[in-house]
Amino acid sequence: MTPIVEAVNLKKTYMLGKVPVEALRGVNLKVESGDFLAILGPSGSGKSTLLNLIGALDKPTEGKMMIEGVDISTLNDNQLTDLRRRVGFVFQFFNLIPRFSAKENVELSLSIADMSRSDRKKRAESLLETVGLKERMNHKPAELSGGEQQRVAIARALANNPRFLLMDEPTGNIDSKTANEILRLIKGLNEEKGVTAIMVTHDQRLATQSKKTVLMLDGLIVQETVN
Amino acid sequence: MKARDILSYSFSAIRLRKLRAGLTTLGVVIGIAAIVALLSISQGLQATITSQLERGFATDTLIVTAGSGSFGMGGGFGGGGDSGFKLLVSDTQIINNLPNVDTSVAIVEKLVNVTIGSTNRISTVVGVNFTEYYNIYSDTFKADTGTIPLNPENDSIAVVGRRVIDPRLNGTVIADVNDPIDIIWINATARPPTTITLHRNITAILKQIGSFGVGGPSDSNVYIPITQAQTLFNTNESDMIIVKLKSSDQTVIDNATKAIKDAFSGEVSVISATAILGIISSIFSIIELFLGGIAAISLIVAGVGIMNIMIVSLMERTREIGILKALGTKGRTVLLIFLCEAVIIGLMGGTIGVALGWVLANIVAVVFRGGGVFMGNQANAGTGGMTITPILTPPVFLGAVAFGVGVSVVFALYPAWRASKLRPVDALRYE
Repeated sequence: MTPIVEAVNLKKTYMLGKVPVEALRGVNLKVESGDFLAILGPSGSGKSTLLNLIGALDKPTEGKMMIEGVDISTLNDNQLTDLRRRVGFVFQFFNLIPRFSAKENVELSLSIADMSRSDRKKRAESLLETVGLKERMNHKPAELSGGEQQRVAIARALANNPRFLLMDEPTGNIDSKTANEILRLIKGLNEEKGVTAIMVTHDQRLATQSKKTVLMLDGLIVQETVN
Repeated sequence: MKARDILSYSFSAIRLRKLRAGLTTLGVVIGIAAIVALLSISQGLQATITSQLERGFATDTLIVTAGSGSFGMGGGFGGGGDSGFKLLVSDTQIINNLPNVDTSVAIVEKLVNVTIGSTNRISTVVGVNFTEYYNIYSDTFKADTGTIPLNPENDSIAVVGRRVIDPRLNGTVIADVNDPIDIIWINATARPPTTITLHRNITAILKQIGSFGVGGPSDSNVYIPITQAQTLFNTNESDMIIVKLKSSDQTVIDNATKAIKDAFSGEVSVISATAILGIISSIFSIIELFLGGIAAISLIVAGVGIMNIMIVSLMERTREIGILKALGTKGRTVLLIFLCEAVIIGLMGGTIGVALGWVLANIVAVVFRGGGVFMGNQANAGTGGMTITPILTPPVFLGAVAFGVGVSVVFALYPAWRASKLRPVDALRYE
């Protein structure tokens, strides 16, 4: 079976002003359907860069980033956009649209995928119920706690039945108790609904809860552990 | 994203920043209101002038004056020609014999002092053949009180316009039919200068015409039989000859014009009412263009404001754009969202602007009319009792709204394009 995500000798170099920064220096990685992978590493190790490439938000400098067998370097902007609709993003800072309620935030993602209004409403409600926010779906982000906001973000990420969830420090901005709840939710989605999940974190304790952990240092994967 | 979703998304973005959107819209409102007010007033003014000219000045008439120049191009109107050629009163006979000519009437006119009771004013005294003049201007050379005698050559009478006896047209009448009127002409070229006074009685007062025209009856003129005018001014020269044609067809006008010019070896100017209306309408189009241009500048300023706001908004919403893109929004959709905001602003500004402009135009019209409110009767005196009814034509209405939208969209293009080109990684990293 084709891996959902496959990185082959992946390199990414940024220009920081005039200084080139090698964020990734030849990463090889495979994620199969149903996996729950944690990418662990200190800041500056290149884990967010890797995540951006997996999510087709950026293109590699060298090497191949294959999503479902397609090299993203060969795709144009529109094709990349289509690809992004099949990826569920969850960000450290939630990135909800502040003027929209929880439900509207989830609906936005569905409207981007051209779903009809009535279907959108039902789907958003059921998704928010899945993440345990049935009672608070008409609240705006400012009226929700950090954990609740992240649940909304997860519901939004799941909206268009993505091939995998891509989470950048999903618990980085919430207290540890809530972080555990969020992680339990992700684990549940992975185990019960078969959602493939890739999570970047610098929290060793959280990383061990995943099925597989890779450790990154200075733009390279230095260790792979199956938990 | 579906069109409706784009629209509601744009609306939600505008609603979020009501004050800012309101001020941006205000810029468009002012620009559009200025355009609409200026254009509807100038169109109204044009309509007023045109209709007055049409009344004072039938479309099947030509005006013949001495001088080979043409109206509006230097030669002038009734100003003696370059060669010293003068029209004579008897030239009507030559003109009457030309094809297509129904009749013609010679006019002798001079500025004189007119004394009615204790009031002494300067007025134009016009000598005409009453019968012929009435034939040509049967609508306006019409008595309101009294009767216009048709063969009054030897009677000591005068027909006066309404303003002669009611100078401010406010009902304060200083004389009535049968009252005496003195026409005092000072012959400044005689040596020694002589003063001739004609004692006359008002035999008819014309109904108010309210218009001005060349050759046609006017509210402020005093009319006397042409033979008496010739005697009074001791002249055989005619200031102008008004020619009535058999029809108002353009070919008839053109042929008669040529025939008259030829009959006087090109020493006369022949003006048709249609030509003057044409000149006036072309002058007005220039004025409209000019006024519209000035107003358009304010709209362009508004456009720069829109661009400015859009760029600020783009920066503020960089992260939001990043989110949209990460969720799979196409660059084109982001572009449309921003343009849609501009369209909404332009549409609101345009519509409110048209309404405001229309209100402004009507306020200006009321002020201009005087209406006894702001300037009292002096306004009336100043404008010759003219009223302006602003005109808002559907092309102006739609054009103004479309222009408002157009300006907004044009100035939003660059910010919208920039937004659509933002790379999601950069946009998401933006703080």
